[in-house]
Amino acid sequence: MSGPNEDNNTQLSSHIFGDLLDSIIVDVASECHRIAKLGLDRNLEEEEEEMRLSAQARARVADPSNSSETNTKYVVDIFGQTHPSVATEIFECMNCGRSIAAGRFAPHLEKCMGKGRKARLKVTRSSTAAQNRYSRGSPVSTYSPYSNSTSTNRLSNGTPSVAGEEYSNGTYEEPWNKT
Amino acid sequence: MCLRSSSYTSPKPCKHLADYKLRHAFNGYDSLQNCLKTTPIGRTRVDNHNTKIPRCNFCNGYQGRLYICLMCSSISCSTHILLHTQSKSGHDVAIDIERSELYCCLCCDQVYDPDFDKVVVSEQIKGLCPGRSNKRRRLDSGMELDLKKSKRLIAMRDGRAKSCYPLGLRGLNNLGNTCFMNSVLQALLHAPPLRNYFLSDHHNRDECKRRYGEKLCLLCEIGALVSAMFSGDRSPYSPAQFLYSWWQHSSNLASYEEQDAHEFFISVLDGIHEKESKVRNSSKDDGDCQCIAHRAFSGSLRSDVTCTICGFTSTTYDPCVDISLNLDTVNLSAAEKTGLSTLSGCLNLFTRAERLGSDSKLHCQNCQELRDTSKQLSISRLPLVLCLHIKRFEHSLIRKTSRKIDQYLQFPFALDMTPYLSSSIVRSRFGNRIFAFECENSDSSAEYEIFAVIAHSGMLESGHYVTYLHVNNQWYKCDDAWICEVDEGIVRASQCYMLFYVQKLLYYKANKDLSCNASVESR
Repeated sequence: MSGPNEDNNTQLSSHIFGDLLDSIIVDVASECHRIAKLGLDRNLEEEEEEMRLSAQARARVADPSNSSETNTKYVVDIFGQTHPSVATEIFECMNCGRSIAAGRFAPHLEKCMGKGRKARLKVTRSSTAAQNRYSRGSPVSTYSPYSNSTSTNRLSNGTPSVAGEEYSNGTYEEPWNKT
Repeated sequence: MCLRSSSYTSPKPCKHLADYKLRHAFNGYDSLQNCLKTTPIGRTRVDNHNTKIPRCNFCNGYQGRLYICLMCSSISCSTHILLHTQSKSGHDVAIDIERSELYCCLCCDQVYDPDFDKVVVSEQIKGLCPGRSNKRRRLDSGMELDLKKSKRLIAMRDGRAKSCYPLGLRGLNNLGNTCFMNSVLQALLHAPPLRNYFLSDHHNRDECKRRYGEKLCLLCEIGALVSAMFSGDRSPYSPAQFLYSWWQHSSNLASYEEQDAHEFFISVLDGIHEKESKVRNSSKDDGDCQCIAHRAFSGSLRSDVTCTICGFTSTTYDPCVDISLNLDTVNLSAAEKTGLSTLSGCLNLFTRAERLGSDSKLHCQNCQELRDTSKQLSISRLPLVLCLHIKRFEHSLIRKTSRKIDQYLQFPFALDMTPYLSSSIVRSRFGNRIFAFECENSDSSAEYEIFAVIAHSGMLESGHYVTYLHVNNQWYKCDDAWICEVDEGIVRASQCYMLFYVQKLLYYKANKDLSCNASVESR
């Protein structure tokens, strides 16, 4: 049930709303006019060109008929070389002197230096000395208020297939819980 | 306030505005100054104290746009403003009451005058309380890194391949889940300031060992890496010594397992800085640090916290070596995610004025009370090399899980950082008035060119990093030991995780030096 008062109110409120809306539209127009006249608007043509090139690139990549970027492993590189999937170059470990294949160097070094999860339980003299000498907390990392450069924002890498024996699936800690 | 040329164009006044200024100079503006009122959000209007509600002289209307004549202060609506000009000769210029914008009645368009903007801004600044913290740092970019010297140290070019590939291109063996390290090293070693620094032997390894005797120096390790990469030998190099040294430096990250490339990047810069500050025995804060890591990557972020009630703004500056960006579609629901995520969108999000929730009220020095505030970040000083880190990580508090966001992010090859500078952000807060604000920094350019992209593929816990490098107008994919040529389209379509841009001038200079045809001498 709507009496004359309510009709008036509805009319009045939509009138006021219309006024406010007009004012806001003119605000935006005025601001954009100023930006355009003062040359503050970014180079839209260049931006559009970048967008177009990106869209084009994505379309080409998505197209199955295109010879897509092949898995670069197992192919010949630009210098005409081929490499095995696990690096086979042999060199001496600088910690213990043993001969190690490059592709297995990191897991070896971890045990050799007493680092890593399993080795951390044994505290060796060298690792504590290293920790005391190179304590973290230098100004480079104080940027953290603006970024979560600490553990909460990390993308890990790791291919379970290329692993030493000690790599175990499924039981590793979530990376972001590491301190 | 000094008057300096700024990055925008001061438009030529129309004939009528020019005439007005010739005849009346600033009289009209000055008398108007007392009538200007600024709201805390930065909007300035003309508040004629005499009348309560401004009404058009002709029709008595109060709706729509109203203008006040600069000559006689009479008010007209947009319909009748022309009548006013016609009835009174010389009354050509008026001001939009709501927005304090000049209007030329004869051109029927909004016009702009730096002198008028100066009046408005002075009023706006006066309206805000004085005493803003003003930790202004003038910084020297120190770009010249002896490019001539580095040319001399480039080794004989490799004549083996059919076509000549740029020096410095060399694969890195994966030592066991170390692609995170390889990808960052490729990007770092090809960053022009770093590459030149090490190629010109600014850090002499023999001298370092002689003087400091320490077994561990990350600078020496990187220097050794650079030498190896630029030696002309194209067989993949094993950065084992580097890994060993790095694990000794960052013992908390030393383990054979999945690692994050960005974390490694920060750790390496940290290591370089630490050594440098030990050497110089100084504890300079990062803005003035002259270690190569900071000289190349250090920039400065400005944070403005504004009281929403009185407009009082408190400003602080913080150094940074990179910028971590949230994806710009991260807050949208699945249905809305049809839009494209772009780097400029992420940067806009980063520099957006954000209202802090009512549960985090801050104490306003002016109001002397806890108030709702709005916070806005901007870049007060750009680095030589700009590293942008895309946070592809989403943490769900409900499910207590985290996942990787595979969303495609469009990024440009040529990047203009001007809109994200403090000067632009602050100016837009004052309505983009023509005025030389104190934070104008026209020393360094804001134009960047991309030179490296670190892309991640796969899942959160098990994925793979590769680096795309742009050298001599050709893109190369560095996938551990394999270096391949790729089309730029592959790079554009890739899932970027870290983007490396270098200031345009440095980029073109650097590429010239590295061309294969440069005359070379062996070391």
